[in-house]
Amino acid sequence: MTAKRPGAMAGTASGSMVRELVYVACAVACIAALGLTFSDPFIVTLAGYTCAFALFALSINVILGGVGEVPLGQCLFFGVGSYGVAIGMGKLGLPFEVAVLAALVLSVVWAAIIGAITLRLTGAYFSIVSWGLTGVAMVAANNLDDITGGPLGLFGFPPIKVGPLELSDPQTYFMVTAFILLAAILFLVAVRRSPFGAAMESVRQNPHLARSVGVDVARVRLKAFLLSAPLAALAGALSVPYTQIVTPEVFNVANTVDGLLMVLLGGARLIIGPVIGAGMFTLIPQVMNLDPNVRILVFSSIIILIMMFAPGGLHQLGLALRDRFGRKKDVHGS
Amino acid sequence: MSMAADAALAVSARDITKRYGGVIALNGVSLDVQQGEIFGIIGPNGAGKSTLFDILCGITEPSSGSIRIMGGDIGGLAPHVIARSGVARTFQRTAVFAESTVTENLLFGRHTSFRHGVMGRIFGTGSYAQDQQSYHDRAEEVLSLIGLDGDRERKAGVLAYGVQRRLAVGVALMSDPKIMFLDEPAAGMNGRETADFIALIRAIAPGRTILIVEHDMAVIRQLCGRALVVVDGKPVVVDEPHHVLRHPEVVAAYLGADDDE
Repeated sequence: MTAKRPGAMAGTASGSMVRELVYVACAVACIAALGLTFSDPFIVTLAGYTCAFALFALSINVILGGVGEVPLGQCLFFGVGSYGVAIGMGKLGLPFEVAVLAALVLSVVWAAIIGAITLRLTGAYFSIVSWGLTGVAMVAANNLDDITGGPLGLFGFPPIKVGPLELSDPQTYFMVTAFILLAAILFLVAVRRSPFGAAMESVRQNPHLARSVGVDVARVRLKAFLLSAPLAALAGALSVPYTQIVTPEVFNVANTVDGLLMVLLGGARLIIGPVIGAGMFTLIPQVMNLDPNVRILVFSSIIILIMMFAPGGLHQLGLALRDRFGRKKDVHGS
Repeated sequence: MSMAADAALAVSARDITKRYGGVIALNGVSLDVQQGEIFGIIGPNGAGKSTLFDILCGITEPSSGSIRIMGGDIGGLAPHVIARSGVARTFQRTAVFAESTVTENLLFGRHTSFRHGVMGRIFGTGSYAQDQQSYHDRAEEVLSLIGLDGDRERKAGVLAYGVQRRLAVGVALMSDPKIMFLDEPAAGMNGRETADFIALIRAIAPGRTILIVEHDMAVIRQLCGRALVVVDGKPVVVDEPHHVLRHPEVVAAYLGADDDE
């Protein structure tokens, strides 16, 4: 029972620290390899955008996998990030970093206000009310022409840079978003293993029992919401170098549904589940060259099949195979 | 019962009434539980035992009446605040975190004792190390008490029903509570599981006050010093279990009830 063993709170096996460092090193190597070897600008930019959208899926999963609510309104914060960059850079002439930072702060403030109102609700009520708020945001974006550019949106930004790094260069864009995504994953792993992570999990599974062991359920739900909002805003901000335009369509619920599909594809119980889902979600339509309408059909069918056969997400199939054929050693992924 | 011993009262309720619309679930129930006592609450189905229980530990607000726990009035306090003052309870249904392992269940039960945050977790600060050490020590104690040493990595949901009830007590024990409320802890247990369970409660009783709502009279008889009988929302008698069970109104109530096990 030595004290400094990472993951021991969550019950992971010994030697896990070395293994986890190896995982991180592998991830860094993969990002570097992908970023340096692939030069097709279309593919690399798309990969960068996938990383940005994976951040959004992570944000959704903080709520879905974290406290067990379906956050249909999460694209509101995505939009705050996108518009934050567009307005900050295009209208106010701020550097990209400052605009992003302002958008993150704004998203947290909005989350505090919205959370205080909507988190009293649970289940479908929470989902519907938060969805409704995105409708309000869309109407506002459509009509505040002076600020948001109205229905046409905002476009034609100055070159987007993070420090000396030009995000207009596809490989740089990919590397920056990928490393930010990696940092977010590591942070969320730490969150899950912290007492707050345990409190979220207890609230998701059984709020009454959680309350009886002293968890302030309302507070935990609000904190999860406050954590998810800047992640979504960061995703929205990082998608701007790819989209090059921000329109009121960012507040469309279809955006959130895309993120939700990614979470369900990859699995809500796994921290990197949404990232796996995001990868599949972009990869499959590209490889199969799908029409957008057919895409919806294909993914809807996949989701139905997953819900029937692997309700925990696709990684569950892997776990099931391992349990059947392999030794039962590890308990759960984190 | 005695006025002089107020300071030694773990739980004290006065004239608890609870109405749901036109239905009176509880009508003027009072009780005093001494510190260190194992106190039973019994009664036929629908008598209002569970409602009384929820009110005593602050989950449900009474329509009128007051409750003091360890001398402090709990009126208007949120359930998690009451839980943090050394009161733990188990539930009749959904007693454990079914999707988590036994050790994770115990981790969730330890919630109030953790001092470190996310940053402490990332940087492995002193408070994190302390928290972890005390959690491990307590978890080992509790695991051996509830006899789940060999099942620590199993999911709570796949454990046998009787074992789940023991785990529920384990989750409650993680915060080392002064008062424990057990809601029908032996419901659905077979004879052997019940015997084990009685031994477990006896083992954890020293230094604690325990209140039990229970259908199984054997459990009440073997564990409780005193028991309160509730029939139709009204208190009938408080006495030692063997006296209580011979009380004419209790006999009538139980013979009249047809679905008691």
